[in-house]
Amino acid sequence: MVSRVTERTLIADFSLAVGRLRRQQAEAQDALSSQKRLREPSDDPVGAARSTRLRGETKELGAYRDSVTIGRSALAAEDGVLGEAHDILIRAREIAASLSGGLATPEARQTAAEEVTELERGLLSLANTTVAGRYIFAGLSTTGPAFTSFDTPGFSPATAYTGPVDPFAVRTARDETVRITTNGGDVFDSSLQAIDGLRLALEAGNEPSGNLTALESAAEDIRQERASVGGRLARLQTRDQEIGSAVLTAQTLLADVEDADLTETITQLAQVQNALEATLTAGTSLLQTSILDYLKF
Amino acid sequence: MAIFAPLTVGRQALLASERAIGVTGHNISNVNTPGYSRQTPVLHATRPDYQGFGTGVEVADVVRSVDGFLDARMRTSASSLGGATTGRQLLDRLQALFPVGDLGVGNALAEFFASANGLADSPQDLAVRNELLEAGHTLASQIRSAAGGLATLQREADQRLGQAAFDANAILQNLAQLNREVVAASRGGRGANDLLDQRQQALSELAKQLSIQVVEEADGGVNVFAASGQGLLIGTDAATLTTELDPTHIGLDGNPLSKIGIATRDGGVISLSGDIGGTIGKLLGLRDTTFPDDAAALDLLATNLRDAVNAVQTNAAGRDLDGNVGVAFFGGTGAADLDVAITDPRTIAAAQGANLADNSNAIALAGVAQQTFPALNGATLDEFFGSLHARIGQEARRAEDAATIEENVSAALAAQREAVSGVSLDEEFTNLIRYQRAFQAASQIINVSNILLDDLIGLVR
Repeated sequence: MVSRVTERTLIADFSLAVGRLRRQQAEAQDALSSQKRLREPSDDPVGAARSTRLRGETKELGAYRDSVTIGRSALAAEDGVLGEAHDILIRAREIAASLSGGLATPEARQTAAEEVTELERGLLSLANTTVAGRYIFAGLSTTGPAFTSFDTPGFSPATAYTGPVDPFAVRTARDETVRITTNGGDVFDSSLQAIDGLRLALEAGNEPSGNLTALESAAEDIRQERASVGGRLARLQTRDQEIGSAVLTAQTLLADVEDADLTETITQLAQVQNALEATLTAGTSLLQTSILDYLKF
Repeated sequence: MAIFAPLTVGRQALLASERAIGVTGHNISNVNTPGYSRQTPVLHATRPDYQGFGTGVEVADVVRSVDGFLDARMRTSASSLGGATTGRQLLDRLQALFPVGDLGVGNALAEFFASANGLADSPQDLAVRNELLEAGHTLASQIRSAAGGLATLQREADQRLGQAAFDANAILQNLAQLNREVVAASRGGRGANDLLDQRQQALSELAKQLSIQVVEEADGGVNVFAASGQGLLIGTDAATLTTELDPTHIGLDGNPLSKIGIATRDGGVISLSGDIGGTIGKLLGLRDTTFPDDAAALDLLATNLRDAVNAVQTNAAGRDLDGNVGVAFFGGTGAADLDVAITDPRTIAAAQGANLADNSNAIALAGVAQQTFPALNGATLDEFFGSLHARIGQEARRAEDAATIEENVSAALAAQREAVSGVSLDEEFTNLIRYQRAFQAASQIINVSNILLDDLIGLVR
């Protein structure tokens, strides 16, 4: 504190103090109305960088969540299709079993052949299932169909699959990709061949007991693939929950970095307001005091 | 002791009081004049007569209350304040180029790689491809506009140098004139109090522009030197600060920047050297170090992003939607002209190998976000941008703090100066009463002398 105080010192101090308090008031007001503690990088330089990273991370997690959603919808569709395909194989096995042995007439076998043909068509159509225009058993390709039509001349179950060899994988984390398709040939070749074999045997009026093993093992293949699909579906569900909690963590951290603590800000505002009122009251009464009021010349 | 002596004494006293009231009035009139130092009449008893009798009073001198050390300290503070204020202004604008929240380069970067991940989900979907293209455009334009903003700020700093030189020259001319008047006044034995105040004020103004050393001469004049020792004002001879374009110093916008220095008689310019200080020193620091450094970091980000993305896009196994090897995604030579080089979303290479429904290349593209770069000190793109972001925030924060501190120092010094040199109305009015009473008393001396004379003359009748 200086020893000699003039009117100008008082005025300068007063306007400096009021200016400073007004600035604090404006800052608190800005923090309240924006509800943000962090409004420009200099408010908290490290926090600004952190906030940008957290926002980036949230976007990245959002992208992974989109991937998981796509994966889950494809895998769920595959699961449904494989279930129906399994039913078809079971039905085919029933037919084969019921027409085995010497009791069935060749006519009955001919008739059954027609049903098996329909089962084969059904299986092919299941193998050609699309989700949003993408063939789920052809690496999610939009160009299809995955399997050639039953009516194509020279149709053979062994060469029916025309889709890509490589499966399709989605990226669900920085270092994790989850395979969501299986080469359609690998999934359906055994089933198509078993049913096709049954059809040919029945059409020829032959006894189909020799086809039972193939049908059985084809059904086993489908069950195995279905188990694999189920496993990956479960992985994606877990991943979805993981992402959900990671997003929550990022948002909580982001709020910590960015958001104003309302209680604190309001308290600050009240404090500043008090100080401002006190300064104004004291200042105006001080500055109005003048020797001139007491002098008579 | 003659009968007329009291009359003379009274007249002297009247005159002295009048002058003292005049000085007080001068103080009161200048109560709000910036840089004014209060003046005090110095009253002396006049020389006694040959018999040793007192002969009255006179105002021997009028002195101004100043503290020379404080003035020098205030000039240093003015230089720091000038620099800090300029720094705060320009760095506040700099940080506005790098906003927080859902804006800016950092967000565009995250958005771009999220879109790349989206492409990996649906590699054949044109809408998704378009989205990636758009995200690329946004990212490139965010980086471009930050780089453009830096170039604009650098150009502004350069232009402000010219303005600062212009202001400094006007002050130097004024100082030369004041030097002339001060020297003439002291030679003529006249007081130069008000001129000295004005000169002090002008020196403080000059110190805002650049750090100065002030050396007082015996004749009352001052010489002014820059911090490097280069002469700015010798007696009445003022140097001229000038800026001229320096073709060897190219700014971020590709045009030459200017060099600031002292004009020589033959039309050349001698650059200011050393720690220049003040507004000019700060402008040079921002223009030649801060802004170019930030721009270089942005350039590094842009070129590494461009090269990494293009490397994935143009790799020999990559295939676009029509089965062709991909082409470069980003074009440009740096941050200032970074742009998306392709227009057809089909030409983005999302697949590897013959299977066009494959997404391996899109996954590789999304993986660039996690790639670390030796050129970026082993950081990923977003980590590197994060550190640049934090650095800019810190620069702005430091500038704000420095300006606040300098304002406080300057206010404290101003209060100290006011304590020594400021006019206090309380004091002045008290003095006014004092001198008024003295005047009234002196009048009484004359009155009494007059009566005595009357009596004396009455004896003759």
